[in-house]
Amino acid sequence: MGQAVDCFFWDAAIRFDQELQFISEDIGSGITLRKPVFTIDALKKIIDRIKTARQEYLRTHDIPAVLDAIDKVNALWMNPAYQGRRTARDVLPIVTGFSVEMIESWGFDYFFDIIKKDNLPLAGKLQPNNFREFSACGDGLVKAYGKSHVTHSNYEPEVIGHICAGNILGLAAFEMVMDKLIDAATWVKVPTEEPVFGALYAKSIEEVDPLLAHSIAVLPFSSQDTLVQDYLFSQSDLVRATGGEQARRNLTTLAEKHHVPLAGHWHKFSFMVIAREFLTNHASEIAELASLDVCAWDQQGCFSPQEIYVETGGSTSPKEFAGLLAKEMEKTTRALPKGTNSGKMQVLDGYYQYFTKETMGEPVKIFPSKENLWLVIYDESNTNCEPSPLFRVIRVKPVADIRDIPQKVRPLGSFLQTVGVAIPQDRLLAFADAMGQAGATNIRTISAMTLQKAWEPWDGRFPLQELFEHDGIHWVSIDTKDIDAEIKSALKRKRSIVCEEQMRKRT
Amino acid sequence: MVRSILRFPSDEWIKTFKDELNKNKTYQEVAKDWEGDFLFVVTPDEELKKETVFYIDLWHGECRDAYLVKGEKQAKFVFKGPYSNWKKIIRKELDPIRGLIRGMFTVEGDSRVILDQAKAAQELVNTASMIPVVF
Repeated sequence: MGQAVDCFFWDAAIRFDQELQFISEDIGSGITLRKPVFTIDALKKIIDRIKTARQEYLRTHDIPAVLDAIDKVNALWMNPAYQGRRTARDVLPIVTGFSVEMIESWGFDYFFDIIKKDNLPLAGKLQPNNFREFSACGDGLVKAYGKSHVTHSNYEPEVIGHICAGNILGLAAFEMVMDKLIDAATWVKVPTEEPVFGALYAKSIEEVDPLLAHSIAVLPFSSQDTLVQDYLFSQSDLVRATGGEQARRNLTTLAEKHHVPLAGHWHKFSFMVIAREFLTNHASEIAELASLDVCAWDQQGCFSPQEIYVETGGSTSPKEFAGLLAKEMEKTTRALPKGTNSGKMQVLDGYYQYFTKETMGEPVKIFPSKENLWLVIYDESNTNCEPSPLFRVIRVKPVADIRDIPQKVRPLGSFLQTVGVAIPQDRLLAFADAMGQAGATNIRTISAMTLQKAWEPWDGRFPLQELFEHDGIHWVSIDTKDIDAEIKSALKRKRSIVCEEQMRKRT
Repeated sequence: MVRSILRFPSDEWIKTFKDELNKNKTYQEVAKDWEGDFLFVVTPDEELKKETVFYIDLWHGECRDAYLVKGEKQAKFVFKGPYSNWKKIIRKELDPIRGLIRGMFTVEGDSRVILDQAKAAQELVNTASMIPVVF
C-alpha cells in the first residue's frame, strides 16, 4: 500500500470557509506528497491562528518549558524507531537525492545534537565591545569586527517568516526552535526540493506540546507564487531566507516592497586549511577527517569545502596528502554513500579535465575513484581559489605558508564563510583573525565544517539576534578553545560513523 | 500595615527584598535546590548615573544575606543589565530569561543552572514586584 506524506502543517482545528484543494505528487516507491493549493483567505486564517497561539500561549509560557518541549521532540527524533523518523527515512532519500546513510547518520544523529536544549544559546546577543579579541563563547571563541550601527530593532516580533533553501536538511527545524526562544509565531516555506522534513518536525512538536506547535505553520508553495509570497511578507515582522542568487534578488525586492527586514543567507564559499604541523605524525588521521567534510551532504552545503590548502614543509607533502585523502574518500564513501542524485557527471568532467592536464605534463595529479563516486585532484597549476564542481570533487593545493591564504581569498570577501582547519593552537588565533578580516565567518575544526554549533554566528550574525536586531557587526567564531582535543573527539566521531554503518550493513 | 515606599536601587530596597523573600513560602519551596550567591549589577543609563551592585546570598530557599556592595565583591553568578531593564523586571514587564535571550541582560556563571531554576527566578521577580518602590 502506498504512503501519503503531508508537506504542510498548521493547527488542524482551523476551519476554512472554502475547502482547501490539495495536489498529490507521486515521487515513486509508492510515496505520494500532498501539498495544499493556498488561497489568500486560507492563508489569512493560518496566520491569524499562529498569531493567536503566540499571544495566548507562547508569550505566557516559560522559556525553560519551551526548551523542555523542544528537548522531548528531539528525543523522539533521536529514536530510530520513531514514526516521524521512519517516514523521513523512507521519503528524504527520494526527494533529496542523499543516501539513507547520510540522512540517518549525519542528518538525524548529529543534527539533533545541535538543537539539544543544552546546546541552544541562551544569550541571543553579545556586547561587541567585550569581544574585540577572540573570547570565550559556548565551547569556542568569538570576535566582533565592525561597528554596531543598528539598522533594525524589534525585540518583540510577532510573526517571523522563513524561506528555506533545499541544500540544508533540517534548517526548518532549527528555525522553528529559534523563533520559539523569542516568542515569535512562525511560518516556514519549505523548499521544493525537500518539502517533507519541516512538516514532520512540526507534527512532532504537536505530539509533545500542541499549543506550542500551533504557533507554527509549514507552508509548501512555489517561489513563483507571488500572490502567496506578497501576502506572507505583508504579515511578517521579519523574514529570514536562505538561497541562491535568484532568491536573493527576488526576496530583496519583495522585502523592500513590504518594508520587511530581510535576514538573508546567500551563496558562500568555504574551504579547508591544513597546517604543516599536522602533516608530520597525523597526516592519515587528518585525511580521514577531511574526507568527512568532503562527503558530508555531498558538498551541497554552503559550509562544504570547495578546496583544501595544504601547507608545505611537513613530512607529508601536499601531493602525498592528496593520495591519503583519496584512500579515506573511498572508506568514507562506503560509510556515507552518495545518493541517487550522485553528480556522476561532475566527477567525470573533473576527471577528464584533469586527465588531459596531467597527460600534458601540467603539475597536477588525479586520484580517481574506481566507480567515479569521488575525485581528489592535486593541483599546483593554479594556486588561486576556484569553486569545486561539488558532489565529492575536491582540489588539494599546496601553499608555502598558511599566512598567505587570507590575501589569496580576500577578493571573495563576503562570499567567504566556513574555513575548516587543522592548525595548531599557537598559530590558529592569528590565522582566524586574518581570515575574519578577509570576510570569513566560521573557523571550524576539520570534519565539523557542516556541523554548526547553536551558539556560533551564522554568516557573521548570531541566529537569535538576527531575528530581533540587525547591526553592522561581523562576528567570527572558532568552534573550539582547544583544537587538539576537538580533533581527537572528531576522530572518535568519524570512526564511530564508519563503524556504525558497517554494523548497520551487517545487520 | 502601611509599607513605606523605597527607592530602587538602594540598600533599604535590597534588605527589604531579603526580608520579603524569607517570608515567601512559594520561593522557599521552588528554590529548595538552589545554591549560589549573586551580584545584581544595575548599570547606568539615561536615568541612572552610577553603577549599583547588590550582593544576594541565596541558599536552599533562604536568603542568607543581601546588601548594597561598596567596593569589590565576587559571587557565583553575576546578572547585569541597565537600570531601565531592571525597572521592567521589577514592574513584571520583562521576564529575566527573556531579557537574557534578547541581550537586555547578561549573566556570568553557568546560565544553564539559572535556566533549571526558572521557577525560583520567577519567584524572585514576584517578590521584587511586591515591594512598593520609586524609581
